[in-house]
Amino acid sequence: MIRFENVDKWFGTMQALAGVSGEVGRGEVKVLVGPSGSGKSTLIRTVTRLEAIQGGRVLVDDIDIASRKVDINRLRQRVGFVFQAYNLFPHLSAIGNITLGLTKLRGMGKAEARERGLAELARVGLAEKADEMPGQLSGGQRQRVAIARSLAMDPQVMLFDEPTSALDPEMVGEVLVVMKQLAAAGMTMICVTHEMGFAREVADEIWFMERGAVLERGKPTDLIDSLGHPRLQGFLRTVSHGGDIHR
Amino acid sequence: MLEILENNWLLFLVGQYPHGPIGGLAMTLFMAVIALALCFPFAIALALARLSPYRWLRLPATAIVHTVRGLPLIMFIFWTYFVSPLVIGRAVGGVETLVIALVVYEAAYLSEIIRAGIEGLPKGQVEAARSLGLRYWPTTIKVVLPQALHNMLPSMVSQFVSTIKETSLGYVISAHELTFAASQVNNVLLTQPFEVYGILALTYFALCFALSSLARLIERRISSGRGGAPGVIVAA
Repeated sequence: MIRFENVDKWFGTMQALAGVSGEVGRGEVKVLVGPSGSGKSTLIRTVTRLEAIQGGRVLVDDIDIASRKVDINRLRQRVGFVFQAYNLFPHLSAIGNITLGLTKLRGMGKAEARERGLAELARVGLAEKADEMPGQLSGGQRQRVAIARSLAMDPQVMLFDEPTSALDPEMVGEVLVVMKQLAAAGMTMICVTHEMGFAREVADEIWFMERGAVLERGKPTDLIDSLGHPRLQGFLRTVSHGGDIHR
Repeated sequence: MLEILENNWLLFLVGQYPHGPIGGLAMTLFMAVIALALCFPFAIALALARLSPYRWLRLPATAIVHTVRGLPLIMFIFWTYFVSPLVIGRAVGGVETLVIALVVYEAAYLSEIIRAGIEGLPKGQVEAARSLGLRYWPTTIKVVLPQALHNMLPSMVSQFVSTIKETSLGYVISAHELTFAASQVNNVLLTQPFEVYGILALTYFALCFALSSLARLIERRISSGRGGAPGVIVAA
């Protein structure tokens, strides 16, 4: 469904991605882990051209997303993206955040869009918060609204860019529950996260990235529990002992 | 001073109306409001063009803004005064001239305020909108501008204050506004310029101070309302 072929990306003279290849099949959940600055976020941002790449190809359903034939706005409707900082629109209510795409892109009427929006909010357990402004919601609730906003566009893939990193520890769980439900429902997902418990539970495969390359990949049990790459073991120790894994 | 005010308050307020053209404070406010309202669409267009990835849009808009901001308003007023009759093909009154000059002049300044408001938004706002699949215009109209304009409301009120003060330059082309009314009163009384222009000064000050206070109030509300992103007050 998504294929990276020797993807290169530079920020100025800094190489953020160095020949990354990999494939995400339909219904699979891949979890990207690695130290900050290792290129995890950059990699998923290339899928919807939030970051342009300088070498290699990114294919969605076997079509090169850089090709002129691709309508990037169509593609973005099919690929949901959840940000670390939620990026809710602060001037719109929770439901308004969700209906914006539905009315502007799906041509839905107001009533129909609201109904659909409420259904999505119910899915993330926030139906009763529909008319509250993002400023009135907790971090966890905001992130769930952001997930509902993406889901409303009926995406075939969901990309999560450290969705719990900005949250207070007690709110991480509520967001992970929603993500686990999505995974269980068969959604194709790429998640950048430090939540190793989540990775162990739902990931089909973990990619360990460092310095713009995938150093190691494998099933969570193989990678976390057995002795993987020494760098990976070192990383896992800092993640579990650091105490500030949610920051 | 009170006596002058007592005898001439109507002239200060509305000029010679109803026996002549409306003027005074009423015309000053009218011109400031109209000029700002008319320049608003131009200001937004200039701001968007300045932020455009396309050079052919960005460069001319940047040139216009820098040119206008580098020239004194009085020069613009004279220029409009002499050129607009040639363009329009008939005599153009003082009020119209001043409004035209102000629209051009204020558009340049307001566009910089709007541009700052747009650039001040978190980058994630546009990314989130584009990630939903929204194109440039829906993103701009539904996500970017409502937030940018809201955050920039205090600066826009400050700009309104400047505009009010700038309308006093209309005096030199005989636009019937507040300063013009004061000079008419002065011409009648002849011996009390200090008092007459004192009244003029107090009137401008009361109006502008009230509006600046309003701007500060709005600014406080905005920064407390959404938890952060305080607006920037442009000195008036």
